[in-house]
Amino acid sequence: MKRKIFALMLVLVFVLSACGGKTPAVPGGDEPVVLRMWVHTNNAFIAGYEPLIAAYEAEHPNVDIQLENFDYELYLQTLQTAMPAGEEADILQLFGTWTSQYYERLAPVPAEVLTIEEAQSIFYEAPIGGYIVNGVLYGMPQEFNCEYGGVLVNKTLYEATGLTYPPQWETMDDVLADAQALTQVDASGMQSIAGFHFTAADPTWASFLAGIKQRGGDYWNADHTGFTFNTPEASAQLQWALDAVDADVVDPIVFNDSTNFVIDAFFQGKVGIGYIGTWAIAEGQTNFPDFADEWAYFYLPSIQGDPVFVADSGWGLTVSPNSKNQDIAWDFVKFATTDTANATQWNIASGTIPAMPAVAESAEIAAAMPWIPKALDILPFGQYLGNMPDRDLVMYEIIYPHILNVLQGVETIDQALEAIDTEANSTFE
Amino acid sequence: MNLTMKRSKKSTGGLAIAKRRFVTGVTVPLLLYESLGIFVLGWAFVLMFFDYSSGRIGGPILGLGGSNPFVGLRHFIEMIKGTSVEAGLFRTSLRNTLIFAVAILPLNLAITLPLAWLLETIGSRFKALYRTIYFLPVLTSSVGVALIWMSMYDPQAGWINAIIRFFGGTPFSWLSDPRAGFAGVSVAMWAVILAYLWQDYGYNMVIFIAALQGIPQELKDAAMIDGTNAWQAFIKITLPLIRPTMLFVCVMTMLSSFQVFDIIQVMTNGDPNNQTQVLMLDIYKNAFRYQNLGWAAAESFVLFIIVMIVTIIQMRVLRTDWEY
Repeated sequence: MKRKIFALMLVLVFVLSACGGKTPAVPGGDEPVVLRMWVHTNNAFIAGYEPLIAAYEAEHPNVDIQLENFDYELYLQTLQTAMPAGEEADILQLFGTWTSQYYERLAPVPAEVLTIEEAQSIFYEAPIGGYIVNGVLYGMPQEFNCEYGGVLVNKTLYEATGLTYPPQWETMDDVLADAQALTQVDASGMQSIAGFHFTAADPTWASFLAGIKQRGGDYWNADHTGFTFNTPEASAQLQWALDAVDADVVDPIVFNDSTNFVIDAFFQGKVGIGYIGTWAIAEGQTNFPDFADEWAYFYLPSIQGDPVFVADSGWGLTVSPNSKNQDIAWDFVKFATTDTANATQWNIASGTIPAMPAVAESAEIAAAMPWIPKALDILPFGQYLGNMPDRDLVMYEIIYPHILNVLQGVETIDQALEAIDTEANSTFE
Repeated sequence: MNLTMKRSKKSTGGLAIAKRRFVTGVTVPLLLYESLGIFVLGWAFVLMFFDYSSGRIGGPILGLGGSNPFVGLRHFIEMIKGTSVEAGLFRTSLRNTLIFAVAILPLNLAITLPLAWLLETIGSRFKALYRTIYFLPVLTSSVGVALIWMSMYDPQAGWINAIIRFFGGTPFSWLSDPRAGFAGVSVAMWAVILAYLWQDYGYNMVIFIAALQGIPQELKDAAMIDGTNAWQAFIKITLPLIRPTMLFVCVMTMLSSFQVFDIIQVMTNGDPNNQTQVLMLDIYKNAFRYQNLGWAAAESFVLFIIVMIVTIIQMRVLRTDWEY
């Protein structure tokens, strides 16, 4: 009888231990832990992640973080197929504005790791805004993706044209005056050098939305349940852009997002002033290593008043709710994003604007990226774009095509604003 | 007698085993493959009745329901009379796809058939050489072809504009000017059609060459004895006899042009002003960029129906009831 009871208890112990599974490992524990981390392929970003991973693994010898990268389009597809199957990696690199589309499949940041209040106090408003959905924090940003206001300026062209360098812009009229002088047209009448290329997709929507804000308007209704694009402020901003095209600073037929994209055109000497975010710098230097012209990065003056603008968050790190080691994953995310030394290292390697003011204002950042101190005056004015049902659809299939139509002369301002308003609001349905 | 029966049984048994092995070896993988394909098709069929996004968890069964709600036929009603940006883009894409396919088929036939006929008339020494040259673009990747044509169409450095400049003409932005058109079709669309034709024509040409070689020489000789000239022989003898091949070429060309994607994605990505946005590109963007999988599945179903109808019509019009 005793033997039977003993055997039964033994079986029970085996069954219960099998059902119970493993005890989650803890950072600094002895149990080996393997974490998978997915990022999109960007060599500069990866060069920033690898030392962070090595440093974390050195501090936690039991943790092995395996970095996997995917081309941008493939990354989107992989996330969309892996997440429903619960097969995604433990740590996921996401763009802040994607959070509102994926939040159901992301783990909230535990309060003991970081509260919303703490996050809002250490990060700029715009980047952290993307990671907060319905009052819940889902990740931590690593960069301030600022598409507004930054321009690449070709010093060689400036000096060849006899313009003062560095540019002394007080108003946007000063920018247009320089751009007109920089613009060149070949013998057949085609624009060969665009004085001010502002007609790619990101600069177009960024300057449009900033122009609305700086003129005292807004593109959101009062309770953020719909858009208000057909406004006098929006009309005035489009008229400004149309006047700039009429002043021949850029031919939007020849210079736009698909033809003579601003990075390609600038680093081939076909643009005097190229409107694009700082992320373009690393890409341009990588893709056009033989570009011999001298250049630098500056910020434009506002249309009027304070340089208020909107930004769509930035790249950052999130954690899968399916991860068996969420606590270690969050520990790494916090290590990589909120530690100022680590964040500084990552921003320098990736060439991105820091998401934390403490990092952006550091001497190390200023030494490595001389354009960042120029941005410090405008970054505090950055507001989060707002959670949209489909940010990419609104920006790239609605706002940009209609504005480009206006600039290319196939749509009027009124037609474009009415269409943008109707189509953008239809994304809420 | 017994020996014969034994032999007979043995040989039958061997054959039966061989048959069973063959059936098992072929059928099981085929069933697995087909069931996978059918599952994918079935999943797409189900998705088109839901407002499904992979970013949302949805209901307990395959994520359907809940935050991925059942919408019935709403996607199709929206496609027909909706005012949303998706509906507008769908109608634009459908129109562009039809333009593309309707332009490609006759142009392709107008190039490939005469070219194949001409190749058949030249000496055998050069025949293989020319056939190889014409077939080379088919072997080239679509992305490579797109990049080559993009460089040729470049408004500033492309050699097409260089030639125009040389003769004193006004250069043109072939892939990005939404204002210009020809015969009611944008110049960008014509530019893409030309690139696609260049890549694709070698395939049909080789098929036509094979068909032309299959025509019995006696028929041609008889026609010549009857006093027909080359043109009459082509119209009255060659063309009717290659009608089954014509059917195959028409169906395949139509199918591939309805499904055009890669060359357009690389060359224009639907620009300018959505003038080159075709259905496959729209489906891809909705599915993978905007995570609108339910809508994309509904669009795919519409494309499937269109392709099926067009194929049936072609088969009815071009079918033959005879062989030679």
